[in-house]
Amino acid sequence: LRRCVISLDMRRIEESFRGIKNAIQAKDTFQNVTILSTSETLHSIKPLDVCCVTKNLLAFYVDRVFKDHQELSPQILRRISSIANSFLYMQKTLQQCQEQRLCRCSQEATNATRIIHDYYDQLEVRSAAIKSLGELDVFLAWIDKNHQGTSAA
Amino acid sequence: VPCVSGGLPKPTNITFLSINMKNILQWNPPQGLQGVEVTYSVQYFIYGQKKWLNKSECRNISRTYCDLSAETSDYEHQYYAKVKAIWGTNCSKWAETGRFYPFLETQIGPPEVALTTDEKSISIVLTAPKKWKKNPEESSISLEQIYSNLKYNVSIYNTKSNRTWSQCVTNRTLVFSWLEPDTLYCVLVESFVPGPPRLAQPSEKRCVSTLKDQTSTLKVK
Repeated sequence: LRRCVISLDMRRIEESFRGIKNAIQAKDTFQNVTILSTSETLHSIKPLDVCCVTKNLLAFYVDRVFKDHQELSPQILRRISSIANSFLYMQKTLQQCQEQRLCRCSQEATNATRIIHDYYDQLEVRSAAIKSLGELDVFLAWIDKNHQGTSAA
Repeated sequence: VPCVSGGLPKPTNITFLSINMKNILQWNPPQGLQGVEVTYSVQYFIYGQKKWLNKSECRNISRTYCDLSAETSDYEHQYYAKVKAIWGTNCSKWAETGRFYPFLETQIGPPEVALTTDEKSISIVLTAPKKWKKNPEESSISLEQIYSNLKYNVSIYNTKSNRTWSQCVTNRTLVFSWLEPDTLYCVLVESFVPGPPRLAQPSEKRCVSTLKDQTSTLKVK
C-alpha cells in the first residue's frame, strides 16, 4: 500500500522553534489548559490517518494560529515566518498526495482535528494562538515520529 | 507554619537534568545567603492538569536537587517544577522551570558495548540504553522502543597508528575488519536521536587487542 511521505527539513523548523520556545511558552499563562498536548489526541492517530491529520494541522497553524498571533518582537516574528513558510511547502507536498488519493480522512482523523479546533475555540483568541505556538514542539515531534525516513512524494 | 513570601531571594538556575528519562530537578542557592542554613521545598505541575503538586520527599530539604523521575515518567506529557527557599519564618518566591518535555529533552545515555576480536577484526555488539525505571523489578523499556530512529556513532582508534574510523549505525552489531594483528584498539560509542540537538553522553572507552597473526607464529616454528 503506497504511503504519502513528505520530505521536509525538520532540523531547520526545529531550530526555528527552539529560538522562540522559551519566550513563547513563558507568555502562555494558562498552564492548566492544552490544545495539542493531550496524549489522547495526537498519540492515538493510526498510521493510515497520519497524512490527513498532518494536512489538517498544517492548515490549523497556517490558517488560524499564525494569523491570530500578534507578535511585537522582530526576531520572534522572523522565526515564526520561517516556520510558516516551511508549513506552506509541506502543504503543497501533501496536496500532491491528496491528488494521488494517498491522504484519505477517516472519521477518527476528522474527530481528532475537530477536538483540537474545539480546544482552540475555548480560549480567547490571542491566548489560544500563543498556546498553540508554544505547543509546536509537540506537533513537530509527532511529524518527526510519523514521517521518518521520508523522501519526496 | 506559613512563611513570609519574598523575604528571601529566589533560588537560581533551576533546571531539569534528564538522562534516559531520569529527571532530576536542580538549582543554585539564592545569592547572598552564604553560610545561612536555607532549606527548600519543591512542587511540580503536569501541563494541562489543574494544580501544583507537592513533592513530599523534597519538603524542607537542604540539598539543591530533587528526583522527579517518577512524577515525570510519562515522557509524552510536559511538566513544570518550582522551588522556594525557606529560612526561619522567611521564604522566597517560587523559582520556576520552563516547560519541560522529556521526550525531546532527555539526554540519551551510551549503549552497553561488548567486544570480541580475532586476528584482523573486532566485532562490536551494542545494547541500547534503558529508560529509567522506579523499581528494579519493573520490566525494562529500551530507548529504542521510544525512539525508533535511535542511532549510534561508533569510533574505533588504533593506538599504534593513531588512526580513527567512525561509523553511524542503526543496527546493534557491526564488525571492523582489515585491522592489524596484535594491536590495541579503543572503541567509543555514542547514542543519538536525529532531531532537536540534545547533550550527548559518550560511552566509556573500551580497549581490546587483536590476536597475534597465527600464520607468522607457525613460520617461526
